[in-house]
Amino acid sequence: MEQKILIVDDEAHIRMLIEQTLEELEDEGVEFLTAENGEIALEIIQKENPKLVFLDVMMPKMNGMEVCRRVKKELELKDVFIVLLTAKGQELDRQRGQEVGADVYMTKPFDPEIILSKAKEVLGIE
Amino acid sequence: MARVSLKNIVGKKNEINSAVLALMDQLKEATWIEDENGKLLLGNPTETPGSLFPVNLDNEIIGWVKGDENSLTIANLLTYLVQKEAEKKKLGTEVLNLYQELNVIYNFSEQLTQTIDPDVIAQLTLEQAIHSIPSDSGVIVLWNEEKKQLGVPARSGELLFNEEHLRNNPGVLIKIGLSGQSEIITDLSLLKEKGIIENDVHSLIYAAMKVKHRIMGAIILAGKNVEQYSAAHLKLLVTLALQSSTAIESAMLYEKNIREAREREEAMLRIHEVTKKFVPHEFIRSLGKETLTDVKLGDQVEKIVTVLFTDIRDFTTLSEKMTPEENFHFVSSFNARLGPVIRSNNGFINQYLGDSIMAIFPENPEDALRAAVGMQKAVYELNKERKEAGLSSIRAGIGMHTGSLIMGITGDEFRMDAATISDTVNTAARIESLTKYYKSPLLLSDHTLQYLNGQNNFHFRHLGSVKLKGKNNLLSIIECINGFDELQFERKLQTLSQFNEAMSSYHDQQFENALQIFQTILTNDPDDLTAHYFLNNTKKYLREGVPKNWTGAEEMVSK
Repeated sequence: MEQKILIVDDEAHIRMLIEQTLEELEDEGVEFLTAENGEIALEIIQKENPKLVFLDVMMPKMNGMEVCRRVKKELELKDVFIVLLTAKGQELDRQRGQEVGADVYMTKPFDPEIILSKAKEVLGIE
Repeated sequence: MARVSLKNIVGKKNEINSAVLALMDQLKEATWIEDENGKLLLGNPTETPGSLFPVNLDNEIIGWVKGDENSLTIANLLTYLVQKEAEKKKLGTEVLNLYQELNVIYNFSEQLTQTIDPDVIAQLTLEQAIHSIPSDSGVIVLWNEEKKQLGVPARSGELLFNEEHLRNNPGVLIKIGLSGQSEIITDLSLLKEKGIIENDVHSLIYAAMKVKHRIMGAIILAGKNVEQYSAAHLKLLVTLALQSSTAIESAMLYEKNIREAREREEAMLRIHEVTKKFVPHEFIRSLGKETLTDVKLGDQVEKIVTVLFTDIRDFTTLSEKMTPEENFHFVSSFNARLGPVIRSNNGFINQYLGDSIMAIFPENPEDALRAAVGMQKAVYELNKERKEAGLSSIRAGIGMHTGSLIMGITGDEFRMDAATISDTVNTAARIESLTKYYKSPLLLSDHTLQYLNGQNNFHFRHLGSVKLKGKNNLLSIIECINGFDELQFERKLQTLSQFNEAMSSYHDQQFENALQIFQTILTNDPDDLTAHYFLNNTKKYLREGVPKNWTGAEEMVSK
């Protein structure tokens, strides 16, 4: 079955950068989905059931923490691997991230090598 | 151009896909799209196509549009779309590279904040540089302003740089670029000539490390391959160089501050140690202060102490025979011998006055007495040495008194001194001068005797009382015989009780008796000068009688 990755960030260039970083996975049949705010992200997660979600914390409408909490604690979708992305200096978020059930926590600017290797790990590629 | 697959453009359910489908529907004949291998991507193929048109990207065929002559439109459209997609991808890759670079710089910044050691910063910088800009070798050179030489705090990779030659040829480096530019250079003939780099190095990339406009050094990387370095590499290296320059500058400033602070502290400590030698620490402590800097005009304390004076008999006559330099050496060596004796007996030297020493024993009169005996022995030792050198013996007199003393800081704002003011000092000085009079080397007052602990090994002879010039009260003078050499001490010890008895008779004006006893003493101990003195006095009183109102006390007519 085709695996899906959802990229959620209100900044277009971040969405584009993450897609660019994971470009080679397209050849493995991975489909990329994007969302620019938490509400849309929640819809897509429920509808498309992506394996991996890159979730920015600071967004309008609904922030990443809330999305994560709903997915992990309320809807209890265990198969969705969530990577929270946040700006450096917001280390307190790390603890909150754990509380809402995030799987991995990364700071921006993210290390593209790490993003790629994590994605491959979660999707079971290479 | 980046690689683009036609499948990704039209093969998926997206806007392009829908639009192309709609377009194909419009055409009369069936049209379909295949990839470069003939695999169907979109549309419904018929048996044989009337026409086929390629979709190109960078002179490469990445797919086919098959159908009738109208398929050309679609092929052209797809070619255009594919090209746009490729451009977008290329831009995306560039942005990603920049982002990665940003990440490197961010992380590097964080690393730099973790350390304040310039050498560690240099090493971290070089590691990061080689990690991001693959090279066969690298060094960081820093100019040491103090030593006026080039240092190499970090090196990595193969041994392609000869550090010794590097250090010895700063001029060459300046020529190739320590001037402040950052470059990629492939003309390495001069460097190879000087043996600074190995011959198989093809190119160098270096970035100057600057703070404001001062050049501190450079990061230099070496590569053996052709076209190893690009403009992008240079940009990154320049950024790393800038970051590390500031960090190294701060670190060196920090080290300099620490060093200077330590030097100041050491200097202060030295001054403190030295002041202790000029103003006795015990004096300052008695005032309740720790250091000379804590002391104020007017600080004072009153204490019961024993004051001891010593000086060299007939010093004026002695010094006449010596040059000023000899005089100085003489007094200096005298003081050098006696000083330790005083200190090892809980006393401190308050003042040196020419050939005289004034010492204070704040704890116990016994300390002073022990010190006095020790000092006498030291003088005997000195005389032995002088005799061997063919010099005359010297005699020293020691006098002490116990009483109240005020130690304080006196003077004015700009000239202060530690002063000891009290009658005790004057009395001690007078007692010391009495040693000349009674021909006895060690005298103390009855006050000192009173404060002494009963259990002691000292032996005393009472020499009667004196009425010091300008004073009304009588003072009892006592001689301690422990300081004499063995023979003299034994003799005096034997005649001790007799002597005291004789003095008793003398005081009671029983001069006949006194005379007899003194003479007996002198038979046994002809060197007892003090006994001689009193014998003469006895004889005098026997001859002339005593003055009116004679109390037995000696009247001191001079100081």
